[in-house]
Amino acid sequence: MSIEPMKIFFKEIKEPIKTTMIGNYAVAGGVTQTDPDVICAFPITPQTQSVEGLSDVVHQGRLKAAFVNVESELAAISYSTAACAAGARAFTATASQGYLLMTEALPMAVGWRLPLTMMISARAFNSPNLSIWNSWEYTQVNSELGWNIIVSENVQETYDAAILSVMISEESLFPTIFVHDGFIISHSVQNLWLIPDETVRKMTLKKPRHTIDPSKPGTWGGIVTPSYFMEGRAKLDHEKKPALTQMKSCFDQFKTATGREYNLIETYNLDNSSKTAFITMGSMCGNIISWMTKNKDIGLIKIRAFRPFPYLELQKIVQEYNIEKLIILEKSDSLNNMLPPFSMSIASALYPLKILFRSFIVGLGGRDVTRDEFDVAKKKMQSVSDMNGPLYMYLGVRETKEKIVGVER
Amino acid sequence: MLTPEEVKETLKDACINLRFHARGGQGGVTASNLCVEAYLGYGVCQPRFGAERMGSPTESFVRLSANENLVRTNEQVYIPHYVSVLDPTLLGEIDVTAGIPHGGWLIVNTVIDQITIQDIIKRKDLNIATIDATNIAMEILGRNITNTIILGSLIRVSNLFSLEELSDAIMRRFKGEIAAKNIEAIKRAIEETCIYESGETLDIAKDTKVPWQQVELGLPGYTQLDKAGVWYCDVDVIEFGSNQVKTGSWGEWDILWDKETCTDCAQCWYICPDFAIIREKGEDGLWHMKGIDIFHCKSCQNCIEVCPVKAIDKKLKQGPASCAAP
Repeated sequence: MSIEPMKIFFKEIKEPIKTTMIGNYAVAGGVTQTDPDVICAFPITPQTQSVEGLSDVVHQGRLKAAFVNVESELAAISYSTAACAAGARAFTATASQGYLLMTEALPMAVGWRLPLTMMISARAFNSPNLSIWNSWEYTQVNSELGWNIIVSENVQETYDAAILSVMISEESLFPTIFVHDGFIISHSVQNLWLIPDETVRKMTLKKPRHTIDPSKPGTWGGIVTPSYFMEGRAKLDHEKKPALTQMKSCFDQFKTATGREYNLIETYNLDNSSKTAFITMGSMCGNIISWMTKNKDIGLIKIRAFRPFPYLELQKIVQEYNIEKLIILEKSDSLNNMLPPFSMSIASALYPLKILFRSFIVGLGGRDVTRDEFDVAKKKMQSVSDMNGPLYMYLGVRETKEKIVGVER
Repeated sequence: MLTPEEVKETLKDACINLRFHARGGQGGVTASNLCVEAYLGYGVCQPRFGAERMGSPTESFVRLSANENLVRTNEQVYIPHYVSVLDPTLLGEIDVTAGIPHGGWLIVNTVIDQITIQDIIKRKDLNIATIDATNIAMEILGRNITNTIILGSLIRVSNLFSLEELSDAIMRRFKGEIAAKNIEAIKRAIEETCIYESGETLDIAKDTKVPWQQVELGLPGYTQLDKAGVWYCDVDVIEFGSNQVKTGSWGEWDILWDKETCTDCAQCWYICPDFAIIREKGEDGLWHMKGIDIFHCKSCQNCIEVCPVKAIDKKLKQGPASCAAP
């Protein structure tokens, strides 16, 4: 039996098609078009329909790829990394706890400079209770390992990201994760434009690169003494430097081919009267943009590239528009007594500019983020005039049965 | 009711929200998808996020507007202007009118009259449309699938899109005869929809969301929760667990148990996934089967298969709830 929404990908797509689809199947379609050789994933919870969709196109013979089900996420990432080292174009996907179980093998793809791509449907980790809903716990761990991470706002962006990730991976020879918000994007049906197969093929040509090669034997990941390890790390860092520029050139190339423009950081209405802007990423940007149709005195900075973090671009934007105050919204906390992870990146990036900011933790574990949160965050920011006192707070959480934290009613 | 021109004018700077109530397997999500595909503008559809099972009550939402920025939000729908109920048994089971503003529309697949519906939902400010979609489905489609038919009623009361636009969307999704039959059924639904107007006018631009309703005040706050997120069995802090869910309404069959034939072998008790087999310890010190917990039995029929003496049987449930058939 076939999956209804995947049928559109069974035949060659010859011209741009407008269709409607959930985020997960859109990703499956995008990945299909990039012609991967190996798809390896753990097939059970916490997995998404993206690999279900891919199993369908492989089963139908549309995609000539090895579809491998494995016994855990650790096996999935190990298998994909090895396949990629052997020269295959590989894709894997996970969500929630699965990303944690992958941790041990995640640094290898970076160290070996493998253009692996992975989809993450952002969902909560279990603590203190189990939740299957959306949260950004993926920002708490593994983001410093060297994977490129791009975050999508809607179904169109996540479909495009499936293709862009392959371009970015192959261009930078660093693995790339693309993230969409679990349920909110992964299960919402939205309109999107599909790109013709031929256009995708041209954008994602398989170029020769270093691979495991029997005619050129060598040890991959062999042990080194302290005389070598640091040089190995410094070389990685040196070679990671151009990643953002490479990412940008992929965005440009994508724009030329499809007409859709993306950037490392996207801005909305920054030329506003209050010199204040929200800064966040993912599906929440859509909520803010809709809310901004009635609140025109505030702007939005949307981070598309979370890793490597485009700090110079962010500084430039803030200076150019003379932004004085930033409201950071994020769906993650970190219990570190300083700031949650996304805010830490923003704070470090903007340290030289001495900008005023406050961080608001919203929408954990699927709690909806609405106009109420934006109204209160905006109001609270109006009275902020220094960087004293606590820099973050939870918003939209019950303190008692009658009281919401930080909200006077 | 708004004319097609008024709808067009309203949607330029406002957003119309729809909600569909159905049971898992009845195609509520497909109905909302078709709305997005039929509407010539911007639209998104969200299911209620969470686990869905065959026969369980489901909800899906649609947001339509001519302004791209207004449907860009990923917020849940709090103010549904048009609510469609595909299965009349849901009327008494869940609050289908939640959030509908004054003058909003409730469209129900049912044979009961609008006054009785008003009594069930305990609201008099809503416009009500009824359609015997089950009957049309059985006659034209030959099976009880009402999701496309209810869209006929939606067209009749909302004018959000025309029959032609919906037909195009259906022909893109379904092929040949199936598409033709669905369109024929929709045409009949447009004709046969009974409309009862309350006299209230619907103000689509008005924001009637209760502030902070997503935070669900009334449930315990963080200062009132137990350490380590533990649910202690003897303290009633959080309503939890599957025993709170009325899975008994999901199924298609009533499960019948014959006391005389039963040998108390307990094989059904072991296999039941919902602990819906009731057993009690008798005076003789042994456990005896006492019956079936109809609040939780979702008629998976495992017990029927496993029973060695055929003491368990099934009977088709009365009424349209039985349409949640696999």
